Amino acid sequence: MSNPVNTVVIVGGGTAGWLTAGLLAAEYQESTLKIILIESPDVGPIGVGEGTWPTMRLSLEKIGISETEFIRECDASFKQGTRFAGWLHGQDEFYYHPFTPPQNFNQINLARYWQPLRDKISFADAVSPQGQVCEQGLAPKQIATPEFASNLNYGYHLDAGKFSKFLEAHCVEKLGVTHILDNVVAVNAKEDGDIDSLSTQSGTTIQGDLFVDCTGFAALLIGGHYDIPFCSKQNFLFNDRALAAQVPWASADEPIASATLSTAQRAGWIWDISLPSRRGVGYAYSSAHTSDEQAEADLRSYLSDSGTAPDRETDNFRQIKFDPGHREVLWHRNCVAIGLSGGFVEPLEASALVMIELSAKMLSEQLPANRAVMDIVAKRFNDKFLYHWHRIIEFLKLHYALSERKDSDYWRDNCRAETIPADLTESLELWRYQCPWYQDLPHVDELFSSASYQYVLYGMKYITEGPRFAHTSDKPNVVIADGLFSENNRRRKQLLNGLPTNRELIGKVNEFGFQKI
Amino acid sequence: MTQSEGVGMTNYVILNNVEHQNVKVITERSAQYGDNVHFVMTFPTEFRRVQSSYPIFFQKDANTGKFYPIALFGFEPNENLFLGDDGWDASYVPLMIQRHPFLIGFQEAQDEPDAKRSVVSIDLEHSRISETEGEALFLPHGGTSEYLASMIETLEDIKVGHEMNAKFVDALLESDLIESVAMEVELNDGSKRQLLGLYTINEDRLEEIDAETLGELNKRQFLLPIYMILASYSSFRKLIDKRNERLVEK
Repeated sequence: MSNPVNTVVIVGGGTAGWLTAGLLAAEYQESTLKIILIESPDVGPIGVGEGTWPTMRLSLEKIGISETEFIRECDASFKQGTRFAGWLHGQDEFYYHPFTPPQNFNQINLARYWQPLRDKISFADAVSPQGQVCEQGLAPKQIATPEFASNLNYGYHLDAGKFSKFLEAHCVEKLGVTHILDNVVAVNAKEDGDIDSLSTQSGTTIQGDLFVDCTGFAALLIGGHYDIPFCSKQNFLFNDRALAAQVPWASADEPIASATLSTAQRAGWIWDISLPSRRGVGYAYSSAHTSDEQAEADLRSYLSDSGTAPDRETDNFRQIKFDPGHREVLWHRNCVAIGLSGGFVEPLEASALVMIELSAKMLSEQLPANRAVMDIVAKRFNDKFLYHWHRIIEFLKLHYALSERKDSDYWRDNCRAETIPADLTESLELWRYQCPWYQDLPHVDELFSSASYQYVLYGMKYITEGPRFAHTSDKPNVVIADGLFSENNRRRKQLLNGLPTNRELIGKVNEFGFQKI
Repeated sequence: MTQSEGVGMTNYVILNNVEHQNVKVITERSAQYGDNVHFVMTFPTEFRRVQSSYPIFFQKDANTGKFYPIALFGFEPNENLFLGDDGWDASYVPLMIQRHPFLIGFQEAQDEPDAKRSVVSIDLEHSRISETEGEALFLPHGGTSEYLASMIETLEDIKVGHEMNAKFVDALLESDLIESVAMEVELNDGSKRQLLGLYTINEDRLEEIDAETLGELNKRQFLLPIYMILASYSSFRKLIDKRNERLVEK
């Protein structure tokens, strides 16, 4: 076999770098594959990815991490979805996009049978207990539930800085990843254009067969070296700045929210993430629609309304500027970009970490055996992840496109036809007459399933007109649907009764830990 | 404890021969005294006696998630198939049933602040408490009755058993020797009973375990209890038979 892939060099040691290293190393634990992670001692990780999807449970398990250790070390709490407030009218209205799909989603499209009930009960509450469980700050499981198992589907909120340190220790101590602290000063190319090696500040040369660019916004390899063009999507998604703050709890027993709180503002939205020891709060906004000063004032006003204001004297606000979008290709020659180097959009649906996980998963499952087949894998990787980016942008835009807010240019502009992707406009037209389900999303591994579309559409009070056909033939399904609505009602009561609060469960994890079985 | 503590409210106070001079304890076995439980915590020290009458499983404490061994008496809450009109029909009654209405606790000794001594408490609200019938706790001049002396012994055994349970379970988990088990029993009338949330010894794992680990388990006196648990499943048939008998009685 010519030019086998024996050495993978990961550049950058944030969450992207260490998650990739961990997933790759876990897959190739028994092999001779060498994994090197080089990280600059001078550049810290940006550390904003603090919300995960349920996929993270699988990733952690795969890497061989104990959930108990992870929760204790990474200041993690349980996340069961997102609570969107003020997106429709800018008032107190809210809806949930929970992680648990509607009851029996594989067998029946409950959205259709919910339409006649729309004035009586919200869609999320009709089809899943999770919204109410979140509303009461309850956990998705009990202390007697084994690690990674659940009563209700969940992901995590975590401290990104602690998480990458935690992964680093595990990768180096348990999985044999070589860790080099050094600055890359030159990228050395072969004649054919592949990357041959990296030269470091301390004078060493690091050779590899495949290079993974996890250098964040710097995009040292995919951008700096290869100059792969960036596709800005700001015409669809306006937000290009974020102002983030870490807010201590006023007291040690304040409830830990079970969902990310996303509150719409005049020129963007504020995220509010509860960790056991602090909150992470930030304003994602459009610089074309508000000033940095106004954004800061709005964030301060949100913080004081929600009970805690950071000390004005100690300014712990951190601004991040970004261009929403992604690279034209993510895998070029023997270099693949994972994480911010590949692309970034506002964290509205916490897509950053899940994209890292999916990229690292595909990389580890499809790791090309040699250089000859690498281009085939690269093409498939690009097809898949550019499709994911396409869908992410469309799905995020859905949250804005359905708003009825007219209180600022930001919201008016967001509903202008030319700012909405054509695919989305088409789907929305169709969904006026039929509820989205499997047929609407063609791929088996869609990032956002039709269940997610349903939660946002009907959370935003989108009207799908009554089914078109006379329904004698549909009677059995109406009966099934009614049964599921009652079943959901019963389950909700049971869960509200039996689940501890998020804070209680985390206290027990600290005291007793989860059992492995 | 996930067990019901007798019937109704509890009121545990430290036992003493002045205030409790005239207290008596009814020792009959009956539902009215809170014996209608479908399982109870058990300890390796009594497995030999328990296994001859009851199947032994593990269960998780809902409050901590920690495993502990139980002796099983029935298939659903409040169903104790060993409890009948004539009392408890088995050769051995587990310690945690025997103990009522007493509890063993710890108190810091006043003369030695770091040392803890065990103290016996009694639940004065327990339905077993009486002034007229049952076993006296104290002799007329304040001495401990034979009955109370034997109860104190039971409580001491429980104290030792608790400590051993924690170590036993840790050792089993460390060697992946516990696995969950789902059981469905079909009764003679065709109805089914499901037992959920039970765990047992992973026999496949036990068979392939290396000699060194086995030796270590044996040295710590955990090997015999493991086999006592496996042996206890011959008592499972007894449980089903007893349940079927009740179908006929009805």
